[in-house]
Amino acid sequence: MNNEARQEILGSIRTHLAASAPFDAREDQQTPVIQSQQSPAADPVALFKQNLEAVGGHCLIANGDAEIANALTQIISALQKTKLRAQRIAVSDAPELVRLMHMTDLEIEELGIAPGASDIFRFDAGISTTQAAIAETGTLVLDSVRERHRLVSLVPPVHIAILNASTIYMTLSETLSMLQSAEELSPAVTFITGPSRTADIELTLTIGVHGPQELYVIVNQSQ
Amino acid sequence: MKVSLFVTCLVDQLWTSIGVSSVEVLRRIGCEVEFDRRQTCCAQPAYNTGYLREARQVAQRFISIFEESNAGAIVSPSGSCTAMVRHYPQLFAGDPEWLPRARAVAAKTHELSSFLVHVLEIEDVGASWQGRLTWHDACHGLRDLNLKTEPRTLIRNVRGAEFVELDHADACCGFGGTFSVKYPEISVAILDQKIDAIERAGVDAIVSGDASCLMQIGGRLSRKGSKVQTMHLAELLSHRQ
Amino acid sequence: MNHLSSETFRENAKAALADAQLRGALKNATSLFGERRKVAAASLPNWEELRNQARAIKDEVLSHLDKYLEEFVRAAESRGAKIHWARDAAEANAIICRLAAERNARVIVKSKSMTTEETHLNTALQAAGMQVVETDLGEYIIQLADEPPSHIIAPAIHKTRGQVAELFTAELGMPPTDDIAQLTSTARATLRDRFAAADAGISGVNFAIAETGTIVLVENEGNIRLTTSLPRMHIAVMGIEKVIPRFADLDVFLKLLPRSGTGQRLTTYQSFITGTKRHATGEGPEELHILLLDNGRSRMLSHPVTRQSLACIRCGACLNACPVYQQVGGHAYGSVYPGPIGAVITPQLMGIDKASQLPYASSLCGACREVCPVKIDIPRLLLHLRGEISERKGSASERLAFKIWARVMMSPELYRLSSIAGRLLQRVFPISRAWTSGRDLRLIEPKSFHELWSDE
Repeated sequence: MNNEARQEILGSIRTHLAASAPFDAREDQQTPVIQSQQSPAADPVALFKQNLEAVGGHCLIANGDAEIANALTQIISALQKTKLRAQRIAVSDAPELVRLMHMTDLEIEELGIAPGASDIFRFDAGISTTQAAIAETGTLVLDSVRERHRLVSLVPPVHIAILNASTIYMTLSETLSMLQSAEELSPAVTFITGPSRTADIELTLTIGVHGPQELYVIVNQSQ
Repeated sequence: MKVSLFVTCLVDQLWTSIGVSSVEVLRRIGCEVEFDRRQTCCAQPAYNTGYLREARQVAQRFISIFEESNAGAIVSPSGSCTAMVRHYPQLFAGDPEWLPRARAVAAKTHELSSFLVHVLEIEDVGASWQGRLTWHDACHGLRDLNLKTEPRTLIRNVRGAEFVELDHADACCGFGGTFSVKYPEISVAILDQKIDAIERAGVDAIVSGDASCLMQIGGRLSRKGSKVQTMHLAELLSHRQ
Repeated sequence: MNHLSSETFRENAKAALADAQLRGALKNATSLFGERRKVAAASLPNWEELRNQARAIKDEVLSHLDKYLEEFVRAAESRGAKIHWARDAAEANAIICRLAAERNARVIVKSKSMTTEETHLNTALQAAGMQVVETDLGEYIIQLADEPPSHIIAPAIHKTRGQVAELFTAELGMPPTDDIAQLTSTARATLRDRFAAADAGISGVNFAIAETGTIVLVENEGNIRLTTSLPRMHIAVMGIEKVIPRFADLDVFLKLLPRSGTGQRLTTYQSFITGTKRHATGEGPEELHILLLDNGRSRMLSHPVTRQSLACIRCGACLNACPVYQQVGGHAYGSVYPGPIGAVITPQLMGIDKASQLPYASSLCGACREVCPVKIDIPRLLLHLRGEISERKGSASERLAFKIWARVMMSPELYRLSSIAGRLLQRVFPISRAWTSGRDLRLIEPKSFHELWSDE
């Protein structure tokens, strides 16, 4: 694309770098010693829960599908008593999630292939899978190849995510390695750490801006 | 040890008692003090205003004078001037004649509190002073020379002095050389934060290691009719009851 | 928009100093930001090591920038992204306007991008007949107010809640309220509507990974995710210096950036975008365009001291630490980039003639250098620029003054005589007046230390 500009910019970079050479020689270059990271010894689930709650997220632990279904029902009925309503619930069409939802009595809408804005904006709550998590920061990792619904975890004011305990990594560094070890990085990987927030007015924290106001994570310990 | 005093042009012209006190303290602890009368300035004003040619001329003169000394150290009662001398190698980077000479002089030059605590390993100079005082960390001394604990250690050993830590002791006083007269309104606005902190500390004196900061702070304190004294570390340390 | 000029910095600063509301807002914001950053940095025992690593990575990239840019472009293109190169602001705006026009984009949503502020993109798009809506809350506020940003990461920090409330009432018909949660939900509701209608989304880029062709975006609100996943076209605008070599390098930068900027361990969302979606159906934009902007950056590579300007990761920590910024705020700098980093990159990007005051608007205290996550030596850069300015544009009288000063300092005799002259003239020198407007003047001693020593 626009080759002339490309050539000129690259040329300019090379020319100016060459001009810098005599001065570079005079600068004291210090090579930093890079130490390898060590994973802290801790229970990933407990650490994840602690860190998620520290940023205002909710974390429930469950063992197996029946307990997850139960947890979901409890979350929704509690929310229905608040002004967040949780009447219209969108669910990502990931097969494991659909199966789980059928175990509950909840009235849900399974999302089609590409919900448009007008579709997705009318939901009160969105339920998605999670591909991984980072314990040291309480972060969820969603990957658009396996959780292809990007909007369900973003648009509705409540986001509920199901997370398998075995996919919780201790550190950011391990998580980045894991992402890169896939054959190809998926087109959109998203890290989510708590509900959305801003401090743009007088540096006063407000929770719930464009993204969800409430984040619930149900950790499945049996997987 | 024999030390060569680098008194600084500011102290020489505007605050001689800092120089006199420095000599007294150094002699009291057993140093022989030499003063090379050819000295003038370290070149900081020109360097900081972007006049590198002039800065190099004056720096070369400084180097030529002080490299002749056989003293064990060059000692200065100013963090910013000492920091300037430590920048000489950068000023003469790539210059085969002056770079090694700059390095040699820079390595021998010390700020007073650092010299006492690290070179002579003396923390108590036998001073005494009655009253409540606080310390302002001058920027170059703090950030270029890492002076933080040294002055506090020395002050804590002054008999009769009650030391309190200033709020934001490490915040700039707003002097910044020619900045203080090129942007006087901003300089004073920054200064007033320091003055407020000093007033809140309820002290009899504010002490620092740089005459420039003390002129800035003292100038505002006296304009406001404050009773708080401004004192250089050397003056405090030379004090005896 | 009434931009103040960098060339009238001193006047701008005086006006800012007289604005009590602004000073209150600044004091609150900079001290909170500063405290939070300090706590966050202290919580990492290897903070210093991370800074060193980050700087080493940046130095490596910048000294081979052409190679890493080409690697990034190849990787991104292989995943379906379209790359555009822009030599300057005008070219960048023209390219983006053309892309939008070709796709009949009427409504464009934007997430915060300092680079697009730099090129004044919104003005160009609006002139071409498109509606551009800023979706970051701070940017939305200043867009409504028709003001430039006053801080690199919190653009509306100079405004009190009362001022924001007045603005929303006037521009959006919101019933009067001072409640920040109310203000936020008003903005959210208004902007949801624009998101739904948007034909294109324009974002910045925090990091561009050469190895994988990935662009990384960091935020708290969720507007970047919306901007980059809802509309069918996504245009990402980045300065050429944003590239980093490897995906694994993100570990270092994602630890440093949120802590330095807002004191958070991680911001709420990070988006790692690599090319376009796999399937024609499904969520996400159909097209990803990445625009690489030079606009004076390549020139900065020509000296190691100036090259480090390009290491900046736009965290804003230096602004919060700067005693000058703390007193006068961002607008006084007359530039999209204020504070210490602004004082060094504005003259380099815009030309020394347009911003010759900025490098002098500093007491050289070094607080900025201390908090910079990539260890940019801003005081050294300021001195370098002062050297250039005095060489090319310095005032004749100042140059003469320093020539005389050097002569005096080279000669003990002249030095002695000048001190005698000084004692006579000190009360009337113009320098004395600039000093005495706020401070008492300390007079030259009747006897210099030299003379006292001789007396001994």
